[in-house]
Amino acid sequence: MVACSLLLHHDTQAQGFFKKLKDKANKVVDKAIDKKVEDKTGIPSQSGDSQSTGNGGPGSPSSKGRPANRTGEGLKNSTPPDVNAQIADAEKAHNEGSYSDARYSIQQALLGIEIQIGREILNSLPATVNGLAKDTSENRVVSTQWGWSNLTIQSVYKKGDDQQMTVSIGNNSFYSGLINVYFNNTYVQGNGEQQNVKQVKVKGYKALIQFDNSKGYTLLVPLGQTSLITYECINFATEQDVMNAASSFDIDGIKKMLGEQ
Amino acid sequence: MKQIIILFTAIITVQLSFAQQDFKSYVATAKSSYAAGKLEDAHFALQQMLQEEEITIGKEVIKLLPTKMDSLQADIKQDNVTGNISFVGATIHRSYATLTKKADLDIINNSPLLGSLNALLTTPMLGGLMNDGKTKTVKVQGYKARLEKEDNGDGQMPSYKLEIPFNSSLITFRVEKTSESEILNFANTIPLQQIAKLIQ
Repeated sequence: MVACSLLLHHDTQAQGFFKKLKDKANKVVDKAIDKKVEDKTGIPSQSGDSQSTGNGGPGSPSSKGRPANRTGEGLKNSTPPDVNAQIADAEKAHNEGSYSDARYSIQQALLGIEIQIGREILNSLPATVNGLAKDTSENRVVSTQWGWSNLTIQSVYKKGDDQQMTVSIGNNSFYSGLINVYFNNTYVQGNGEQQNVKQVKVKGYKALIQFDNSKGYTLLVPLGQTSLITYECINFATEQDVMNAASSFDIDGIKKMLGEQ
Repeated sequence: MKQIIILFTAIITVQLSFAQQDFKSYVATAKSSYAAGKLEDAHFALQQMLQEEEITIGKEVIKLLPTKMDSLQADIKQDNVTGNISFVGATIHRSYATLTKKADLDIINNSPLLGSLNALLTTPMLGGLMNDGKTKTVKVQGYKARLEKEDNGDGQMPSYKLEIPFNSSLITFRVEKTSESEILNFANTIPLQQIAKLIQ
């Protein structure tokens, strides 16, 4: 018994010694590797002692490696293309047989019109919704210039730092099509659990409302053939709050501006 | 044969002149709608213009294609240009054939969905990962292209497919019962540079 416990004690001591030895060896190897990497790449290592090699924080110029960017005012907003000028250019290029240039001008004219439609819709949105104010700095009009499944208009409403509603209006035909498939299919509620998707009506329009613990409520309202309004509501207390917020938008007006029947 | 070619040219000319009229009417609609503040109508007219332009480009491309490739004769009755809206600009098709061999040339014009092929061709590692031993990257008239061997499984000569991307456009050339050198010889008769200028 005594011999056994002695052996055990000895074994534990030996294990401790080996562990220390292993840690020491690892440290030496790590240092050697860091040094090699530093020499090869010119980027100082962040681990251990090599941190204090006289390198400043991010953004400071370094004799080794690439400096980080600290200044520059960014790009200036470009003015939307002049639709009339672009149509005239397209006509001229077409008559001259420069079809590729004509196509480019038509695409520019389309972009110009889409940005105007987008701005009109943005301006038509309410300034406040259920106590949430429109954050105009987050207004966005995105046009991909590809066909008619391209225009997305986004507006964000906020209350404090916590509650937010992001409204996206777009002719995203792909998404819209998927929703129509959903509407046309049999409705299934899974395993008697609390359902997370259901069909609702917003101002007479068929819609889908979803709830996800991490994302909050999402309300999708398809309009006409290819358009869709998406309301993403974070920290809304109830489904009814979301419905009330969505109902304060002039959906008929938006639909008309998007040219949907 | 001469008569067929004259007839074909006449049909193309008539179609083009109709297209010209359409284009002009769309331009007029776009201008008047925009002036009247009917943005949506102007948008639609511009889309029609774009579609018309794609078809015109397609027809111009067809004119550039060779009428024969070695022993293969163009089957001009099957020439086809389809204008699309949304994700594909236009699709252009021409067939070539002899009694024993068939080749199809398809050009997809102005489609943003084609970026992935470009990525495969320009990223060696991606291309390597996706390589199943039946494809390889080749150069045709200086343009990078992807050549794919398609075994028909009937013990006869395989088919080959050559894909040449140009930014948002793609030329696909498929020849049945052929060899690698033969399809590349055929491909060299296609005036790629002139086509690229039109479709890009």
